[in-house]
Amino acid sequence: MSARMNSPDACDLRFGQVGIACVRVRRVDAAALCDELERRVRAAPQMFSRAAVVLDLSHLLDLPDDGAVDALLEAVRSAGMLPVGLAYGTSATEALAKRMGLPLIAKFRAAYEPATAMPAMPAAPEPAAPTQPVPQPEPILSSPAGTAQGAQHHVGAVRSGQQVYARERDLIVIGAVANGAEVIADGNIHIYGGLRGRAMAGAQGDEKARIFVSDFRPELVAIAGQYRVFEQIPVELEGHSVQCWLEDDKLMIARL
Amino acid sequence: MTAEIIVVTSGKGGVGKTTTSASLATGLAMAGKKVAVIDFDVGLRNLDLIMGCERRVVYDFVNVVHGEATLKQSLIKDKRYDNLFVLAASQTRDKDALTQEGVEKVLDGLSEMDFDYIVCDSPAGIEKGAHLAMYFADHAVVVVNPEVSSVRDSDRILGLLASKTRRAEKGEGPVTQHLLLTRYNPARVAIGEMLSVKDVEEILGIDVVGVIPESENVLTASNNGIPVIVDTKSLAGQAYSDSVARILGEERPLRFVEVPKKGFLQRVFGG
Repeated sequence: MSARMNSPDACDLRFGQVGIACVRVRRVDAAALCDELERRVRAAPQMFSRAAVVLDLSHLLDLPDDGAVDALLEAVRSAGMLPVGLAYGTSATEALAKRMGLPLIAKFRAAYEPATAMPAMPAAPEPAAPTQPVPQPEPILSSPAGTAQGAQHHVGAVRSGQQVYARERDLIVIGAVANGAEVIADGNIHIYGGLRGRAMAGAQGDEKARIFVSDFRPELVAIAGQYRVFEQIPVELEGHSVQCWLEDDKLMIARL
Repeated sequence: MTAEIIVVTSGKGGVGKTTTSASLATGLAMAGKKVAVIDFDVGLRNLDLIMGCERRVVYDFVNVVHGEATLKQSLIKDKRYDNLFVLAASQTRDKDALTQEGVEKVLDGLSEMDFDYIVCDSPAGIEKGAHLAMYFADHAVVVVNPEVSSVRDSDRILGLLASKTRRAEKGEGPVTQHLLLTRYNPARVAIGEMLSVKDVEEILGIDVVGVIPESENVLTASNNGIPVIVDTKSLAGQAYSDSVARILGEERPLRFVEVPKKGFLQRVFGG
């Protein structure tokens, strides 16, 4: 990626291709995995020592539980490689990756699997919204995100590590969204409080979705996949009430 | 009457959980309550050192959980207060030695022995040991240092307290949360090197129950096996006394949060 010196932006955000090793796990045996990888690292330290790798669990019959995946990641680490994420898999894998705080790379299977096979995907891994009715198991790709069901309310803080997802509707948060917390909605997001974590509206591609925040200091905001991360929050926006929307695929942010 | 269970937790390690557990338990005992303090940090036991009873540990928490010893045999009576007992962790086992049923049995047993308070000293992290320490809690003292990573971890813990506890699961009302800010240095706050009380309260959205100033007395006391609250001359000891009183429902003004003004002698001789 070459830096364009005449650009007013501090950086460019692009999808690009970088080589990354993929560890395809064939059985859940952390010790054996560690031994095997250690052998590879020793054989070619220049290539594999501290190499970034992703873990592919899609070849296992059943997705291992969190503890087992933790052990596998630890095995990779102790072999001298650096696991940076999970790769491939179903929405269950995606939920697992979220719980692990890791990205799921190349999640195309998650996007195309039938909705009926998704009971493992929780709206929120922790019961952040107990009042929420059970999401209807209708195929999520058949209709664009609508807001026909009314909004989902979340009263109180969304703490670091928590995730609140309003499926096929708007999300209204009355309280702060902490650093490391995530609020996601297929519709719009309204936050009456500080946003220090991430907010993702239009999660299923609704480009008309908007985000409204009364105290803006986020890590990331996204609408329909167009996102912006904030290494430094612009002074004119920080702490103000702000709205975000999409205009010609560009994420706009302005004070209210 | 059942015992009130207080977990002392933080997420992050090294912020002062065990120091706080020792002082909280001792402070409650000083207020005349019958108190047991349990070290949940199986494999890295420290509480006995800070309580000064490390040479009197015969049976430990894991022994009781596994039915290898009775509670009576395992509880170590404090040498200063007759109504204070320590249940040490096992140093030779790991956290998998604890089970939810076993922990529940121990807590019920203590309740039957007419304890007023049970203080659970949580290990760092959010894994099994920490989970079991907080699961049965009625109150939580969340220990936080005035720096961003500690604040974030505390935020995570506050979230878990609201969801991964017996009270949350059974809908028995929330665990009462007390935020305790430790290692606070007003001088460093003033020059912007540390978060202020206000910053921390704002980020976490709850008020502090106490602020413990950074102090050498804490280290000295810990090394000598004396909970710092016993040292009534030290600022940290006084701050812990205030905090315990507030947890018991008393109102006390917040002290030690301003930069101390140097006295005449200090100005002359430096200090």
